[in-house]
Amino acid sequence: MKVNIVSLTCCAGCVSSFLNAGEALLEVLLGDFEIVYSPTFIDLKEIPNVDLAIVEGGVRTKDDEKLIREVRAKSRTLVALGICATHGGITSLGNMLSLKKLLEKEYSLIDTAKLPELEDLMYPICNFVDVDYYIPGCPPMPFLIVHTLKNITSGKQPLRHESVVCTECHRKIIPAKLDRLYGIYEKESDPLLCLVSQGFVCLGSLTREGCGAPCPRAGFTCFGCRGPPDSLMYRSRDMYAFLIQVISKRTSIPEEKVKQELYRNPFIFHTFIFSKFERSKAREKVI
Amino acid sequence: MSSRKEITISPTTRIEGHGKVTIVLDELGNVSDAHFYATEIRGFDYFLRGMEADRLPFIISRICGVCSTAHIIASVGTIESIYKTEITETAKKLRELLLMGQIINNHSLVIYFLTLPDFYFPIEEDPSKRNIFQIMRERPDIGKRAISLRSFGAKILDIIGKREVHILSTIPGGIINPLKERERQGLLREAENSLTTTKEALALGKELFEKNWTDFKKAGDYKTHYMALTKDNALEFYDGKIRIIDPEGATMSEFTAQDYMEHLEEKTYSWTYAKFAYLKALGWPKGIVQVGSTARMNVNSKATTELAKKELEEFKRKFGNPAHATLLFDYARLIDLTYACERAQELLKDESLTRTDTRVKVEPKGGRGIGVVEAPRGTLAHEYVLTREGRLKQMKLIIPTQVNNEAINLNVKDAATEFIHKGEIKPGLLNRIEMVIRAYDPCIKCATRQANEKLTVEIKNSRGQLIETL
Repeated sequence: MKVNIVSLTCCAGCVSSFLNAGEALLEVLLGDFEIVYSPTFIDLKEIPNVDLAIVEGGVRTKDDEKLIREVRAKSRTLVALGICATHGGITSLGNMLSLKKLLEKEYSLIDTAKLPELEDLMYPICNFVDVDYYIPGCPPMPFLIVHTLKNITSGKQPLRHESVVCTECHRKIIPAKLDRLYGIYEKESDPLLCLVSQGFVCLGSLTREGCGAPCPRAGFTCFGCRGPPDSLMYRSRDMYAFLIQVISKRTSIPEEKVKQELYRNPFIFHTFIFSKFERSKAREKVI
Repeated sequence: MSSRKEITISPTTRIEGHGKVTIVLDELGNVSDAHFYATEIRGFDYFLRGMEADRLPFIISRICGVCSTAHIIASVGTIESIYKTEITETAKKLRELLLMGQIINNHSLVIYFLTLPDFYFPIEEDPSKRNIFQIMRERPDIGKRAISLRSFGAKILDIIGKREVHILSTIPGGIINPLKERERQGLLREAENSLTTTKEALALGKELFEKNWTDFKKAGDYKTHYMALTKDNALEFYDGKIRIIDPEGATMSEFTAQDYMEHLEEKTYSWTYAKFAYLKALGWPKGIVQVGSTARMNVNSKATTELAKKELEEFKRKFGNPAHATLLFDYARLIDLTYACERAQELLKDESLTRTDTRVKVEPKGGRGIGVVEAPRGTLAHEYVLTREGRLKQMKLIIPTQVNNEAINLNVKDAATEFIHKGEIKPGLLNRIEMVIRAYDPCIKCATRQANEKLTVEIKNSRGQLIETL
């Protein structure tokens, strides 16, 4: 199987994560998996026709858009790897304000003949091309990437993770009586109790499973890097309202107060609230 | 119409990030200008404004997924310098170990996956074959070594950092999870194996380097200033002072992290999304300074671990002190790797590493602070201004690739001048240009950000009332 690995606007962490898979990676590389194009590893400048394209990063510049269209046209199967490619990722935080406008002020000297023009916003790749499989995560865990790729190369349907991170978390949900929410490191957490019922804003209840819940297991709140689960992939589902309900139920803090505290912090939903992700397109295709 | 011509290389390959090279030829067909530039931008330093300091290190690491741990450690250092927090010895050791894991993880990638193909294959080799995957097919043992070494770095990050990329455990105030004895033992066993693998990498690297040295020497040298961290004249990544030496090797200045921004200045050009950094005292373009593996060797006179010390001495003997040839970055990276493996083993042998006093309570304050670490590609500095509520008001990052940016551009122009004469291009141009760029292992992802000092961020509550302006 001939494979492309392409990077758009991103931090390169997803391919990094893939390369951290150790023995399992070696197994993939030595199997039916011939990487023929990848600017990070291979000296080929022209994009060839391939069976599988793996794309990390989202669309921030016109160059990205051109590239993703060309890659799509030349690949049989296209996998979006990581939250930037699938949902727009962290760079979507820049969608609060127009980066373009900002650049006009500060960088009135930018030479657009030499540098690619910016899109008005940061977009996930599915806004421009059809995606066959979405592997969200910031970055997706090495085993998840390798497992999915192995299935794809052997012609099997990759295992989908439909539910939420809570299903993979060991913590017990016991509703508590609290009077306020806490900052992520404001107090030490109980190792066995649900983080939400301790007053932390953990996004596990509205984030897709499949990562193995490394963050809440280690005592950190889930930051939501795998995006919404199947049940929240419909336009009618308001994720903010859902989170407010979950927090209020588990802490006994009135919904109105939870809402006020959440609104104070625009960064809680960093990976998906500002995203231009088209949920309806991705349904049934998210790994 | 003018007869000026442009040659473009796009994308630059086996380099992290989106780069492009343009060579401009004059009427006679000789090189008049050459640029290496970044074609991507994300705008971190404006969209993170307003973020609470607690969350910041974990999010800011998204600047670069390849050296994320270095960014996190610099970031918590910055916040702690504002909060005036003194972390415990145990936390310091764990952070240094994380940084060693980062160096091993990154350098094994750069050495094997990015630069080795240049040394392994003859220049005439078909470009589609000049890559690590071809080497793996021919020599599975090399592929295995590359991956096992990278995995060891990843394992340190996973066990202490709780994730391999964008680690979690490092927070303002220390490390959130103490290391368990069982984990220490496991890592220590792997450290021993990794040192053996590193020795093999070193032997292979030196052999290939010696074979090609006459050719490599031609790839140019720039006698510039150098900058790196130093601790009692020894190689250091985590702690210590920043030292700048002149092209002859004499110390020009030595200062602590808090004074970093007094010594460096930034510059922008219209043709690239990446910034340039240079020494304030000497101005532009006299103040060109290089950071990274060669700079670390030039600034320091010794290393505290056995094998790295020997290799460092040999390096200085062979290539001079300071050494200037551009491609020596690749050689020096092997010494970095050796040091990181040895130092990781040393730290893991220390039984006090499993003490549980890894975290102290922080008291959020407003103010300005700087954090500096030696990242894989050189000296990395973060500077933040926090509001009294502990939110980010302003930030400035000086990234290794920004510092090396001008040296990279000069090298590209030199290579182009050597290979292009009166419109005729000698074979091997492309390879040479990319090799000199690759030597610096530039991380374009890191180097591209912009700031607009006049920008304000307004935070409103759920009823739309303004509660804070940053």
